[in-house]
Amino acid sequence: MQLDGRIALVTGGSRGIGRACVVELARRGAAVTLVYRSNREAAEALVTELTAEGLAVEAAEADVRDGQRAQQIVDRLVEKHDRLDILVNSAGIVSDGLLGAMTTEQWTSVIETNLTGTYHYCRAVAQQMMYQRSGSIVNLSSTAAEYASRGQVNYAASKGGINGLTRGMAKEFAPRKVRINAVAPGMIETDMSEAIRNLAGEQILKAIPMKRIGKPEEVAAVVAFLAGDEASYVTGQILLVDGGLSLGVY
Amino acid sequence: MPTKDEIFEKVQEALVEALGVDNDEVAPEATLVGDLGAESIDFLDIVFRLEKAFDIKIPRGELFPEDVWTNAEYVQDGKVTEAGLEELRRRMPFANLDQFAKNPVVQEFGNLLTVADMCRFVETKVEVTD
Repeated sequence: MQLDGRIALVTGGSRGIGRACVVELARRGAAVTLVYRSNREAAEALVTELTAEGLAVEAAEADVRDGQRAQQIVDRLVEKHDRLDILVNSAGIVSDGLLGAMTTEQWTSVIETNLTGTYHYCRAVAQQMMYQRSGSIVNLSSTAAEYASRGQVNYAASKGGINGLTRGMAKEFAPRKVRINAVAPGMIETDMSEAIRNLAGEQILKAIPMKRIGKPEEVAAVVAFLAGDEASYVTGQILLVDGGLSLGVY
Repeated sequence: MPTKDEIFEKVQEALVEALGVDNDEVAPEATLVGDLGAESIDFLDIVFRLEKAFDIKIPRGELFPEDVWTNAEYVQDGKVTEAGLEELRRRMPFANLDQFAKNPVVQEFGNLLTVADMCRFVETKVEVTD
């Protein structure tokens, strides 16, 4: 299979898009470690489900805001497998509110989880991948980074930051044969987007040329593509998976 | 405990792998930046390879204290100040800074660090036998 023998690490892997990425990478042959913060039950259920299929999946508990823990998880993986091929940074939260009503805690929690968490894991794997002269990192961005929506300045800023991190890191590491890309989903059917989907109702479909909400699996397939050798000449790119949302209404 | 020759061989191997240069280019007097073409990011790679080769830990910035260049106290008009030179001597006892001190232009510093300096740096981290 496409990712046979690859060692992969996926943050935010117990639910939503991260979960779909774990499933996709494992079914393509990678040995996957998923990182979860609080949803132990979901993480363990996923591990049980996939190991029953004969796939190599394990779980590690961590708050991505903890940089030391990130390094610990990566070091343990490298010690066990002597390499690390794929990192998918999917851990993310929303804490919406209009700017005037947003608390500093709301701002900080979103920036630290989405952006700083991504930084921690990128930094933790960077030296090993550089040492190997191989590796692929895929960060989960969002169309919100470029196309603003009210009540999400913290989320948009965190995802815009991820785009910058992705491009900058890609430039630094390209000569060392490590690729870094991002996937920017539009409206996807996850728990995290449920509130906004409920709020917008059918109106939201008018803004999406494909007239439907995307599925986590459709994002995961693109993540797996970027993680694998089929994308061997692609780095520093932000790939939109949004059913045409970014094309505009007219 | 490695000998000095063994340290040189492992340093040479680390530099060959990190910088994609040939063995014979990595002579003791070769400078990392000027002769071997190292960029700042390569120092991360080199440090990691040295850590693995000698089973040691090297705190970031110890081999190549880049933070000195961004400290206004230590750099003025593109040149390292007296205080900066003192700081570099304190943090890089393995390197010979005499030549650099004559015209301490920041951009020239990278041309100073040699393979022999790297070996001396490692010697401060491991016990060496004769």
